[in-house]
Amino acid sequence: MSKILIETKHMTKYYPTGEGKFTALQDINLSFEKGEFAGLVGPSGSGKTTLLNIIGSLDTQSEGEVIVLGKEVSTLSARQSAALRSKHIGFIFQTYNLLPVYNVYENVELPLLLLKMSTEERKKAVMEALEWVGLTDKLKSRPNQLSGGQGQRVSIARAMVKKPQIVLADEPTANLDTENSLHILDTMLKINRETGTTFVFSTHDQKVVNYLNRVITLVDGKKAKDDLKVSV
Amino acid sequence: MILKLAYKNILGNGWRSLINVIILSIVLTGMIWMQGLYDGWGRIARRQMIAWQFGSGHYEQVNYDKYDSFTLDKSNAALSPEMEKQVADGKAVPILYSAGVIYPQGRMTPVVIKGIPTQQSILAIPTEYLKIADKSAPVIPVIIGKQMAKSTRLSEGDQFTMRWKDIYGVFNAYDVVIAKVMNTPVPTTDVAQVWMDYDKLNEVKALNNSATLIVLKDKPVNSDLGSDWRYLSTDDSMAGTDAMISAKRVGGYVIFTLLLFLAMVAIFDTQILSIFKRRKEIGTLIALGLTKRQIIRLFTLEGTLYMLLGTVFTGIFGMPLFLYFGIKGYSMPVDVSSYNIAGMSDSIKCYYSPIMIISTFLIVMLVTVFASWLPTARIARMKATDALLGKV
Ligand SMILES: Nc1ncnc2c1ncn2[C@@H]1O[C@H](COP(=O)(O)OP(=O)(O)OP(=O)(O)O)[C@@H](O)[C@H]1O
Ligand SMILES: [Mg+2]
Repeated sequence: MSKILIETKHMTKYYPTGEGKFTALQDINLSFEKGEFAGLVGPSGSGKTTLLNIIGSLDTQSEGEVIVLGKEVSTLSARQSAALRSKHIGFIFQTYNLLPVYNVYENVELPLLLLKMSTEERKKAVMEALEWVGLTDKLKSRPNQLSGGQGQRVSIARAMVKKPQIVLADEPTANLDTENSLHILDTMLKINRETGTTFVFSTHDQKVVNYLNRVITLVDGKKAKDDLKVSV
Repeated sequence: MILKLAYKNILGNGWRSLINVIILSIVLTGMIWMQGLYDGWGRIARRQMIAWQFGSGHYEQVNYDKYDSFTLDKSNAALSPEMEKQVADGKAVPILYSAGVIYPQGRMTPVVIKGIPTQQSILAIPTEYLKIADKSAPVIPVIIGKQMAKSTRLSEGDQFTMRWKDIYGVFNAYDVVIAKVMNTPVPTTDVAQVWMDYDKLNEVKALNNSATLIVLKDKPVNSDLGSDWRYLSTDDSMAGTDAMISAKRVGGYVIFTLLLFLAMVAIFDTQILSIFKRRKEIGTLIALGLTKRQIIRLFTLEGTLYMLLGTVFTGIFGMPLFLYFGIKGYSMPVDVSSYNIAGMSDSIKCYYSPIMIISTFLIVMLVTVFASWLPTARIARMKATDALLGKV
């Protein structure tokens, strides 16, 4: 059995509401191993984003345990959780979330600036990441000069540039057409195979589901199914 | 790098940034110019008062009280032999004050009569006009200032009667002629003053080589001149004038405090808007692994960059103005309340001291940093997950 990177035990998330509380996730027991290409599926509001945010230590659970890379995330200080993200977790968002004033190169370089790397090392890593996504000819372009597919590829490069152990991708294809969706899925799968990076998606998209080797279905905040598939 | 991000964001803010930068540079330019003007005024006033009234220091007879004209006739003491020597050597000039009254065209005007040696060269008063060529001539030559001439409607060559008491309280009257209307920039050597020969005034007051003031050419090594005399340095003499200029300065400060406040509001507002517009970016930065503290620093830095750009603008657009007023000078609009302050008559050359410039920058900088930082409290309160969704 390979190394477990993420583990949740009896994890529950409440949101306070007007009167009482709303249970977004209930008693979630999950673990992700190194190299998985897994996805959370389920209807809107079923808690996919909430779960990814908790794993990414952008949010904390209300009850239970969430252990990421050996650390209980709810006990991390703000600085420690920032360090966890900057070193080990890459995020990919539905809306790419590139910094508009930076060009492609600078957007991809940004995470490395938090890691005290030399200019040389940074340059090498940025170029490598941009090669993965096939955008080495767009270094100087601004996000608003890119197509949606290119934008998302830049954001994949940004997530990958620091060679994180975990990449969390919240509906990465929701804004893309089929061709671009398949392209970025191919890219991510290739990265997953070559680097062993663990990918956890949240998605509605059947195209994405087809690529996954594990599909976890959430319904109303509960884990409904957890299917391992034979790899594609 | 973070500086670069801040810089690029500022450019991204477009005209809003430009307005902030322009306001800041107006504030900076205005504050420096205004302070330069008042500092320049202070300097010219000092120069003029040294040249026309107080030299490099002076003694006052201890009874003399410039706020009480009744002290005038007791305020004199004989010069010591050493002082007489200094006067002979051109190192000091004695001035004798007396209360008096003049009657130009029968109008009665109280004045201070000041006797000053005709051969002195320490003060700029054109005392050579006071020489009495013919000792037996009944008319004494006097000098008055321009303002005095204007207010009494007297001009050169006019004769009138002047009256004073000698030390025994006996009234004396002489006919005097205006030998010169001098163009003195120092009101306290002009308004209600009549200058005449020192020896003659001594003689007619029944005094002998006595003075109220002794003005020195150089700063004395030892300023103690015995119990009859009180020493006043240039700073002591300037205190009143400096205070008056400072009082005028306050008016200017009020305007620039308001402008500074406006700049602060503009920056504050820009920051609020920018934080609101970029909440998703803030969420992204948190996801990338920046701490909130780093993000707050980034936003504060952005606001502070306005100051930097404002400084550059001030350098570019303010410099010609500074140079013009520093070299050509500025003629103050004379209002009545400024009549009694030296320096007003000349065009004032602004004086920009490094301390003044640096402290002005520091103050504006501090205000900018504060205005930039204050809105970041919002970032501290933000939840990363909400920010990513574009919620606040
Ligand atoms: N900050 C919050 N406060 C209160 N309720 C919240 C908050 N965030 C999410 N929820 C609720 O929690 C539930 C799960 O939300 P979540 O965003 O995780 O769903 P999702 O599965 O990602 O949905 P979608 O597919 O639409 O993205 C939803 O019912 C949502 O309304
Ligand atoms: Mg979601």
